[in-house]
Amino acid sequence: MPTDIRAEIIKQIRRPAHWLLLAVALVLTLTFAYLIPYLGLSGRTEGPGSARGLDAMLPAEFVGSTVAGTPVFLGALAVIFGVLVAGSEYGWQTWKTVFTQAPSRPRVFAAKVVVTAAGTLLLVVTLLAAGAAASAAVAGLQDAPLDWPSPGELLTGAAAGWLITTMWAMLGVFLSVALRGVALPIGLGLVWLLAVQNLLSAVAAPLLDWIADLQRALPGPNAGSLVAALGAPEGAPGVSALTGAGHATLVLAAYLVGFTLLSGWLLHRRDIT
Amino acid sequence: MPHWGTPRHPVPLTAKLNARRIKRMVNSAVSVEGLRVVRGGREVVRDVSCRIAAGTVTGLLGPSGCGKTTLMRAIVGVQIVAGGTVTVFGRPAGSPALRRTIGYATQNPAIYPDLTVREALRYFASVLRFPPSDVDRVIAEVDLADHAGALIGRLSGGQRSRANLAVALLGTPELLILDEPTVGLDPVLRDELWALFGRLAARGATLLVSSHVMDEAARCDRLLLMREGRLLTDDTPGGLRERTGADDLERAFLHLITEEAAR
Repeated sequence: MPTDIRAEIIKQIRRPAHWLLLAVALVLTLTFAYLIPYLGLSGRTEGPGSARGLDAMLPAEFVGSTVAGTPVFLGALAVIFGVLVAGSEYGWQTWKTVFTQAPSRPRVFAAKVVVTAAGTLLLVVTLLAAGAAASAAVAGLQDAPLDWPSPGELLTGAAAGWLITTMWAMLGVFLSVALRGVALPIGLGLVWLLAVQNLLSAVAAPLLDWIADLQRALPGPNAGSLVAALGAPEGAPGVSALTGAGHATLVLAAYLVGFTLLSGWLLHRRDIT
Repeated sequence: MPHWGTPRHPVPLTAKLNARRIKRMVNSAVSVEGLRVVRGGREVVRDVSCRIAAGTVTGLLGPSGCGKTTLMRAIVGVQIVAGGTVTVFGRPAGSPALRRTIGYATQNPAIYPDLTVREALRYFASVLRFPPSDVDRVIAEVDLADHAGALIGRLSGGQRSRANLAVALLGTPELLILDEPTVGLDPVLRDELWALFGRLAARGATLLVSSHVMDEAARCDRLLLMREGRLLTDDTPGGLRERTGADDLERAFLHLITEEAAR
């Protein structure tokens, strides 16, 4: 097993697409959590974005501000990452080569899961480091004190961000295994994350009670609730305290386990072409 | 008093025949008996029986869509079969014990385009538990040493096919199933690859190489000719020419098709 994980890590590290996704995540997070709110700070006390005032950009709040993107756009990038990790094997027909001679499919799949989780951990740690640096820069520019969150808050935020992004990445893995490809899983994953979730919360939930109740069981609203509990600014896309942090954590963990087990079962049971 | 030693009575004829059959099966690397494969509701392999002797290069020839790849997949053990048996080194095809003894190169290169040749082979060597030293050996065998550090996605079609073949050569497999490995290669490279196949067979490996190019058939020890899911013949190139009275193998193949149609 360690040999499989090492081989999978080396293979994924060499792929330029993953580093591009990380760079995009970094640029988007810094742009929408720090750069644009900072440029819009000058003299504004009301209107859209005012909730993201100076406080949200200072070191004390950097954890919530940085993970605020995980329910929607960082989630979308995580879905793409998960699809690329597993779905590319179908696109390039490399599963055939591996499974013809490898002793077991579950072993190869387990290495994929570990590497997917390692990839999302790297994403979250990088974003938090960049968020910390950006918040320190804002504090320096505004002569504000460098009050950092406690190690416990930092670890909780990192764990929550990791849980959310890994859950989305495993949705990508599941879609790629279920649909045995790359393009359609990415398309469907993005439609769910960027369109269907918003339609459900903004259009359907206010009209139908049962959809409002259903929101409490869906991954997106629970991801939004979890980051809201960590101090993510309300008003950021997908951030809304719909449920408590404990409930959200359990639901997200259930989705993570469900996507992983379903993907493993499908890969084990079905033909690969 | 029972007798526990050598039997007093001569061995019956049927037992002798069975023993001879078992001996033949053991000497055969691959034994296919009455194989039938149905795909998409259509019978694509129809009652095929053949044997592939160990340490030989066997050519599997026939037009596109005649069932060559399906027969190869059945031998590798990744094809659901509707009937018959496929035995490889005395075990049912697809047995876990066989996996490390078979190298399989698919028709379309199945290799990572965003890795270099060496990186991709290192990955396969690791995950398939073959020694890292194998990587440079197989790169040299397929004549890609000058391109070992090149991204596979930037290689030419022929170079990519050779990188794909290199994966199948990892671990020195006893049986190599190569699906159209020379497609897209220039005559010089094709010649080099066939020389490599000969060397591998001389070392004791068994090779089943599919092709729809008839001039490659002459380089095989034995030929299996397929058409529309049926095996038309299982013979040596010389034997086939002699039997059909044709000068070259392409004419021999056409003669067999005409003969089959007349039945």
